[in-house]
Parts: sequence; structure tokens; C-alpha cells
Amino acid sequence: MRVLLVEDYLPLQKAVAKGLREAGYAVDATGDGEEGLWYASGNDYDVIVLDLMLPKMDGLSILKCLRADGRPAHVLILTARDTLADRVKGLDLGADDYLVKPFALEELLARVRALARRAYCVKNPSIEVGDLRIETASQRVWRGKEDVRLTAREYALLEYLAMRRGETVARTDIWEHVYEFNSEADSNVVDVYIGYLRRKLDRQGRPSLIQTVRGRGYSLGAEP
Amino acid sequence: MAALLAVFGLLVNWAAHRALDGGFNESLATAARMIAASVKQERDKIEVEVDDQEMPEFRRTKRPDYFELWTADGAVLKRSVSLGQCDLERIDATPGKPVFHAVTLPDGRAGRAAVLIFAPGVEDEEEKPRESGQPQPPPATPRPVTLIVARGTADLDSSLALLRWLLVGAAGGTIALTLVVAAIVVRQGLRPLDSLAARIAAIRENTLSAVIPVDEMPREIAPIGRRLNDLLKRLDEAFRRERAFAADAAHELRTPLAGLRATLEVALSRPRKTDEYEESFRDSLTIVQRMQSMVDSLLVLARIENDQMTLRREPVRLAEAVESCWRPLADAARDRGIRLTCRVPDDLECLTDREKLAMVLANLLANAAEYADDGGRIDITGREEAGAAGLEISNTGCRLAADEARHAFERFWRGDAARADTGVHCGLGLALVQRMTAFLGGTAAVRIAGGVFTASLSLPAAPRDGASLPASPEPASPAGPAIEPVERRFI
Repeated sequence: MRVLLVEDYLPLQKAVAKGLREAGYAVDATGDGEEGLWYASGNDYDVIVLDLMLPKMDGLSILKCLRADGRPAHVLILTARDTLADRVKGLDLGADDYLVKPFALEELLARVRALARRAYCVKNPSIEVGDLRIETASQRVWRGKEDVRLTAREYALLEYLAMRRGETVARTDIWEHVYEFNSEADSNVVDVYIGYLRRKLDRQGRPSLIQTVRGRGYSLGAEP
Repeated sequence: MAALLAVFGLLVNWAAHRALDGGFNESLATAARMIAASVKQERDKIEVEVDDQEMPEFRRTKRPDYFELWTADGAVLKRSVSLGQCDLERIDATPGKPVFHAVTLPDGRAGRAAVLIFAPGVEDEEEKPRESGQPQPPPATPRPVTLIVARGTADLDSSLALLRWLLVGAAGGTIALTLVVAAIVVRQGLRPLDSLAARIAAIRENTLSAVIPVDEMPREIAPIGRRLNDLLKRLDEAFRRERAFAADAAHELRTPLAGLRATLEVALSRPRKTDEYEESFRDSLTIVQRMQSMVDSLLVLARIENDQMTLRREPVRLAEAVESCWRPLADAARDRGIRLTCRVPDDLECLTDREKLAMVLANLLANAAEYADDGGRIDITGREEAGAAGLEISNTGCRLAADEARHAFERFWRGDAARADTGVHCGLGLALVQRMTAFLGGTAAVRIAGGVFTASLSLPAAPRDGASLPASPEPASPAGPAIEPVERRFI
């Protein structure tokens, strides 16, 4: 999942970006309101974590612009402004969630996960495909009874495919949603990681859970 | 008023007394004269021709009047019928007018006697035809007669007593009634004050904005109501500012706290290498330092507000003070290509607290260094103004609009464009500068023009006669009462 973090207080920006990346998200971070809007307008983010008191353009204005443009990203407002009026205003302007500083990192991560599920209309935090079970909360994967160990990037890729299970996911979509802005500009990267996943997930004698749809992309589905 | 009534009552009583008394006496005297008129002397014989029919009062059996006549030598000439065989007490008096005495009447009543000593009218014989040549016989010499007429004074006394009681009653009643009415009127009049007092008693810090309805008040105390409303408004504003300040302070501290918490939680979220932990600790420490400086600034501000600061005045050379405050910033500024020009006359002195001035200068210079653009300029100029030392610190690279200058001194305000947050500054600086300068007896102002931010200070000048004042600590004199709004000047 790809997350945009717009937060001007650098120590906080640094810590939250690190926490999100370590949780497997592709994170683009900026401390500038205008730059944040530019990022959001140009890319498809699954979740945007938005501070309100920003230089050059404040968070609520950014939110209004995004909604007016019909950008579907799910927005979590992260701010020190905590009054009822503030919360209601933020939500009414189009935010999907509101978290007050200071906050527990695990709460932020849980809320971002919830917004990511929402982005794909997946209600169940536990996704099952055949005998593959993905626990999105704890980011653990089981194939049958076996606990499968994946790297953060591998997990992110698998989770994205799982959120869109049954659909054919274009390579570019994978690129957009699993990799951040400054990632290695290697189009092969997606194929390489699909290969890693298959190696870890596939079982002898059974067709791959990840199907290649020639010319169009990949799809995660139960064995036919 | 009671005294007036009493005096009035006494006057009336006295006047009535005299009138009634006089009337009584007059009546008694008239009776005496009537009787006296009926006493005639014929030659040597005195005859009394009292017409009893005309004077029934001397004959009645119930509470009669009495009279008695004596000759000069004490012989009783006549008694009234009422006397019977008794005698009245014979009282001496000067002849002529009747004289009055209080007496006890024969039947025991209290009474008054009129004593009249007179010469009875001489009745001549019918004139014989005069033989010529014969002299007239000499007229007979009148012999004085004592007449005493006595009458009971019970009626008089009771009339006077009745009047007295009436007067007392009237006066007393008037006074009582007046007291009651006055009490009622006053209580009525005071009731609005009571309800006003009740309203005031109900006011708490959080209901200070409750306005006292002046329209409902009687005209006399409406001014009090208005003044109270003014006072409440000022108090409310002062409390609001305090609450806003406390809220701002807590609020501003939340951001570094969030940063600290996130940094530590991330560090602890999984096993890490030592250098990663080190980095997290270092980041945490930086954040803590920012919080500390924020808290320190807040404390200083609070102390100034609460008049807990002491002031130690001495002559301070501005050039020297500026130079020492700039020194810690010089390297970083030079690295960014910022050029500093300092034009402060060497002999420019101000009379102030050295340490507190350093706080002000350090704040302003750090602001200038922070917000100046790379390769920009910082200019410091000093000059002597009338009775004051003026200092200006300006930096290029300001992206605030000119009209945002008026917010500059608000606590925690940071212009949007100025929020290039390095994590070191919080918006407390200029608020502190302003309050501290005011505390030192000077003024601070800010202006923004053409991308240049200028902070100017005006401080009391040191006396130029060379006499050096002893540096003495003095208790703080607050720059104005705590309730006055903080003045903001902007050019």
C-alpha cells in the first residue's frame, strides 16, 4: 500500500515514515503543504496521513482540493487540534479518520490498515484464498498450517494482490501502490518480486496462487 | 424629623396651654369683675348686690365656683351660696389687677383663685339741692375690698391633658408611620441592589461574560451596573487570554511530544542495531531540548506576568551586548552565506538589566538568523533617540505579508511561510521579546516591507553625565496592571 505523509515537524515526520515503511508501506513524505497537494494530485495513494498546520497550504485546504478533484484517497488527519469542533470539521470536509497528537504508533498503524482495507472494500482483516490465509493486522501469512515468512516488500505485494483478489492487477498498478516515489526505476522489479513470492508460497504439484495474465498483469486467486 | 416634631409639639402644647389657661383666667377675672362691680360703698357702708340668678355657677351643688369678699380689716362681707359656712383662704395681693393662685377648693378639688383687691364704687346719695354757700360734703374714702373667686381647674387640666396626649399621639404616630414607610421605601429601593448583589455573587470565572442587565435597573444604580459590566468584560478578556495561553502552551507542546513518542515507539517496535538506537536517542534529545527551551520561555513569560521578576539596572553598551549574543550564531550563519552588518555606535548605552537584555537580543538575532534566506543579509543598526537607545535588527528572506506584522507578537504564532521548521524554534520568541522589553521599560515593534523583517527596540538610555549608577536589585515594577491588554505597535 502506498501512503503519503504530509507532516512539517521533521522529527515526527521521520519517525512516522520509518514506522510506516517498516510496516510494509511505500511512503512518500513531505513537510510542505503545496508539495503535499502536488504529490497527491499526481499519484494514487491508498492512504494519506495529513497534518493540518502546514506551511504554504494548510491541511484542510488540501483536503478540500482533493475532494473537489474527486481524488479517492482515504485521508487520516493527524493533528494536535483536538476539540470536538475541529474533529467534526475535519470529518465533514471529507476526511476519513482523525487522530490527535500525541498518539501511539500502533494506533496510527491500525487506523492506516483500516483505511487501506476500506480502499479496497475488504471488510475482513483476515483474507483467505484457498488455504492461504493473510492476517493483515499482524501481517502474517499461512499456507495451510505453515507460517510463511515474507519480507516487508514481499508482504506488501502479496497484500495488495490479496486486496484485489480475483482481479487482474496491472504491473503499473503494482508499481504505483507498492513502491514509493524514489524507488528503483526498474520495471523488472515487479516481476522479480512476484518470483520471490511464488517461490515462498507455491507448493509442489499445485498451480501457483499467483496467475500471470498475459499482457495484462497478475492475479491472486484460488486454484481452479 | 422626630426632633422637629417634638419641638413643634411642645410649641403647640405651650401655645394651647397659654391660650386655654389665659381663657380660664380671663373668664375667672371677668366673674371677679362682675362681682366687684356689684360691690358699692355708700358712705361707710359697703353693700354687695350680687344677683344670684345671673351667676348660677356659684349656687350649684356639683362642682360649684366660689367667691368671698372681705373688707380691709378682714371682716367677711359676703360668701357665695356654694361656700355655705366655709371660708376661702384669704390671699394677699396688690390691688388693681386680679392675681391668680392655685388653691384647693373647699370640696377638695384642685382649683384656681383670682384675687382682686379693689375699691368699691362709691355711690353718692341723691344730690340734695344745694344750698348756696354750703360746701359739698367730702366724698367718702373708699375702703379696699378683697375678692377671691375660685374655680375648679379640672376641666382645664383635662383639656390640657387631652391636648398633650393628642399631640404626643399625633407626633408619635407620625414618627412611627414615617419610620415604617421609610423602612418600606428604603427596602424597596434597596431590593435592586440585593438582586444585583445576588447576581454578582453567582458570577464565577467561567461565567464572567454574563452581562448584568442594566435596563432592568433603576436609574440611580444603572451606572454601577454599567461599570460592573465593563469590569466583567475586562476580567473575562484577561481570563480568556490566560486560558488561551495555557491552551496554546499545552497545544504547542503536543507536537514535540508526538515526535518524541513516535521516535521512541518506532525504536522499540523491533530489535535494532546499536547505531539505530543511538540515532533514535539523539533525535529524542533534540526534541527534548526544544521542549525545554519552550518551557523555559513560558516560565519567563509567566514570571513577568506575575511580577516575580527582579530588575537589576546598570549601563550596558549595546554594541558589546549585540556582539556577544551574535557570537554563537555566527558560524552557522556564515555557512549559509548570510552577511551581517552591524552599525551600532560604540558609545551607545542603555540603562537596563544586562541578563534580560541578552535574552531579548539572543531571541531577535536567532530569529533573524533562522529566517534569513541563504545568502541573505542581516542588518543591525543602533542610534540614540530622545532619551532612549534605539536598535533595529532586520533580515531579508521574509515571506510574510506586511499586514501579518500585527500577529508577530502573539504567543505561538508563526507565520505560515515562516514555518520552515528545524525543530528548534517555537513561536514564543517574539512574545517573550515584547513582554521582556516592556518589563525593562522599553518598547518593541515589528515591521515587514519588501521581504525584509525588521524588529526594532527602544530602551531607556543611560545618563550621559558619566556618573555611574550603582547596580542595585529592585523589585519588579510591572509594566502596567495585569489586566491591561498587551500593547502591540506596528508601523
